[in-house]
Amino acid sequence: MNKKVMGFLTVASSAIVLAACSSGSANSNDQVIIYSNADDEAIEVMQNTLNDKGFKGEYMIQSVGTSELGGKLLAEGKKIEADVVTMASYYIDSADAQHDMFIDLTSSQALIDETSNIQLPILGNVGSIFVNTEMLAQKGLDTPTSLKDLTDPQYKDLISIPNIMDSSTGWLLVQAIMAEYGEEEGPKILANLIQNVGPHLESSGSGPIKKVKTGEVPIGFGLRAQALDAKEEGLPIDYIDPIEGNYSLVESVAVVDKGDDEKEKKAQEIALTIANDAREQLLVQYPVALYEGEKVANEPAYLKKWATTLTVDLLQQHQAIFNAAK
Amino acid sequence: MLKTTMLMRGMAFLLLATIVFFLALPLGAIVLKSFEGADGWTLQNYEQALSSGILTEVFFNSVWVSTIAAVITTVLAFLLAYTIHFTNVAKPIKKFIRLGVTMPMLLPTITYGFVLIYAFGNQGIFSRIFGQPIFTIYGFNGLVIGYVMYTLPAAFLLMHNAMQYMDHRFIIVSHLMHDGKWRRFYHTILRPMLSPIGGAFILAFILSFTDYGIPASVGGTYDVIATTLYQTMLGSIPNFSQGAVISIAMLAPAVLGMLAMGILERGNVSYKSVSQQVAFSSKTKTVLFGSGSVVLVLTLLAVFTPLIIVPFTTAYPFDFGFTLQHFQAVIQMPELMNVYKNSLLVAISTALVGVVIAFVAGLLSARTQLKNRQAFDAIAMITNAVPGMVLGLGYLFFFNNSSLKGTFFIIIAYAIMHFFTTPFLMVKNALQKMDPSWEVTGALLRDSWLQTVFRVILPNIKKTLVEVFSYYFINAMVTVSGVIFIVTTHTVLVSTKIKELQHFSKFNEIFILSLFILVTNIVVKIACEFYLNSQSKRG
Repeated sequence: MNKKVMGFLTVASSAIVLAACSSGSANSNDQVIIYSNADDEAIEVMQNTLNDKGFKGEYMIQSVGTSELGGKLLAEGKKIEADVVTMASYYIDSADAQHDMFIDLTSSQALIDETSNIQLPILGNVGSIFVNTEMLAQKGLDTPTSLKDLTDPQYKDLISIPNIMDSSTGWLLVQAIMAEYGEEEGPKILANLIQNVGPHLESSGSGPIKKVKTGEVPIGFGLRAQALDAKEEGLPIDYIDPIEGNYSLVESVAVVDKGDDEKEKKAQEIALTIANDAREQLLVQYPVALYEGEKVANEPAYLKKWATTLTVDLLQQHQAIFNAAK
Repeated sequence: MLKTTMLMRGMAFLLLATIVFFLALPLGAIVLKSFEGADGWTLQNYEQALSSGILTEVFFNSVWVSTIAAVITTVLAFLLAYTIHFTNVAKPIKKFIRLGVTMPMLLPTITYGFVLIYAFGNQGIFSRIFGQPIFTIYGFNGLVIGYVMYTLPAAFLLMHNAMQYMDHRFIIVSHLMHDGKWRRFYHTILRPMLSPIGGAFILAFILSFTDYGIPASVGGTYDVIATTLYQTMLGSIPNFSQGAVISIAMLAPAVLGMLAMGILERGNVSYKSVSQQVAFSSKTKTVLFGSGSVVLVLTLLAVFTPLIIVPFTTAYPFDFGFTLQHFQAVIQMPELMNVYKNSLLVAISTALVGVVIAFVAGLLSARTQLKNRQAFDAIAMITNAVPGMVLGLGYLFFFNNSSLKGTFFIIIAYAIMHFFTTPFLMVKNALQKMDPSWEVTGALLRDSWLQTVFRVILPNIKKTLVEVFSYYFINAMVTVSGVIFIVTTHTVLVSTKIKELQHFSKFNEIFILSLFILVTNIVVKIACEFYLNSQSKRG
């Protein structure tokens, strides 16, 4: 009996040692950790590009929701686990302003719009309305053409939008409304819209498209690229560029300043590879030109940008407007 | 003899020091954080939280929805336990009820939410059968249903356990005295059960109040305190001191509940001897309660059907063809398999180390005369009252700048602490029931204390330790709420991966991973049952 018990205690104590050590094994420590808020499709493109360029096994991509990653950047600074992040450009700038946490990156290609030199744009996200055409016909609803149309009572509880508190896609909607209707009328339209949305306010940017795809609701607002995909898959989905404008957000790649020369060098190579070599395929998914000379198919009808540079402060203001409208 | 006492004291000191490090200090970190201002100590964080009105709103939302859920759970749990102990329903049916109702324990709560959406959402399986959604699943309704599913097993086990120790002969006496139906029910069943009923209500309330998984998946626009805490800590603009204040608010009902539980304990009725022979159960009653319970358990199990339908359907809800394609895709993903291995590692280590810690704590508390042995009871009270999210947050604050950050070690330590109460009480109760003179006999035979422990006590408590193992394993496998704050890229668990997949609404993967957890837990449970059965046959 004694032996058995001792054996058990040995197993138990070795389990502790095992658990303590396995996270610190050599292999995993060498890997460059990439935190990304990008969609599946974009992550797949990045992964394929990196593997093609010989980085297989040398990196690990961890997907994190936009607001969660933003929170981590602001809260943890250089202590963040990631070596590379791909994230909305305004977050990268704000986090750097607070923690001075990214190293400089330069690209061989010329940018259309200037950005800070700590990041390289990798894709442009554009918002639009999308509809499940079958459901729309089935319920005898009109096809909306603008965001203001969505406040029509006929769509009560039939629209899904992302919550600006958790999702940057939600911000594209707020930007379009605020820019078009101003401080006076904008919040009122927003309030009516949120009323119509009812229980379909999603915490994730891709929530609305899933709900429209599965027929939970006939109308949604989200990334135009996702609707395009669904349409090409042959689903009864169509996108509608709202007349208020298709606002866009740039997502960039940046390298965290960890002070570790060798790993930082590899992180830098990986970041440059994503920025330079993944662009062509990303452009198919996200049709917004970011570098000089890029050609785009399926460009949105009303491509627009917020008049000033986007910042976390502006996001906070818009979040407050959104919450007040609730 | 002196040496032995030194040994006991040494063990107690080591164990207490470990617990202080992994429980008291992280919790202290939260308290400090909540008083931390830009320049020195301040009450400003509390003022800010109260003046914004949001904390008050979500606090009362949580209280309200948890109360409703706890009332429903308590009634259902009582009816189920009553059917098992006070009616002549056939044995296999009783077994089915007992196993069926505890099934949800084998899954993370975050899964319930997703299952509910696919069962009762607009395109849900049952909505399709009925032609339209039966009710809105998002928000209040979803929360209540989810909480009831989540808390019913625990509440049921509590009442089931209490009814096992009731003497049925009192019912016979009541019959002989020609008591009326209601009078008999009140005096022989309801009155003696008041304390467990109250306990079940409090337990269900606290579990609901502090759960994160269900509101994260099905909460909709009905904000509760758990999701608010998560958003405050890891939302787009994090606010750590506000997070600390919310954690402390979250602690309050749990602490009150534990105090109330202590008072209720005093009302416990104890029987001198127990007869389990069911007395005077009429046929009507048996049929009525039996069928009611079976329908209830079947409904509960039916809610989980999307779990085995959706991931094996080509493209739900458009194409209902059967396919293994999604399943194969998951198995072939190296990342997801890694996550599964992580979970196994954490669950096995938690269970093994947890058994040792619970055993040593129970041993010192129940079978020694150490002065500080009551400390372990106090610790068990604390771990019971502290919500997982709050403890996880404490770990985030306390270990963030240490080299322990991002290790499996920290997750295992968290899980052992968080789930400590039940294993400790199981071990302690079992040890207390054993012959108190063993140690003396051992000493007379010139065995050292340790030899007595190894030769006599351990062999006799093996069964309980296997139960503790299974309890720790299953809970470590399904926990989400606290670990979301402490996992990193290399230490992601299946349960936290499910939360992450939600971001992309990848329900096939979510359901398949949930099935992984479910099957693993069932295998462990069966293995433990098997071992226990083989032991009881031998012994």
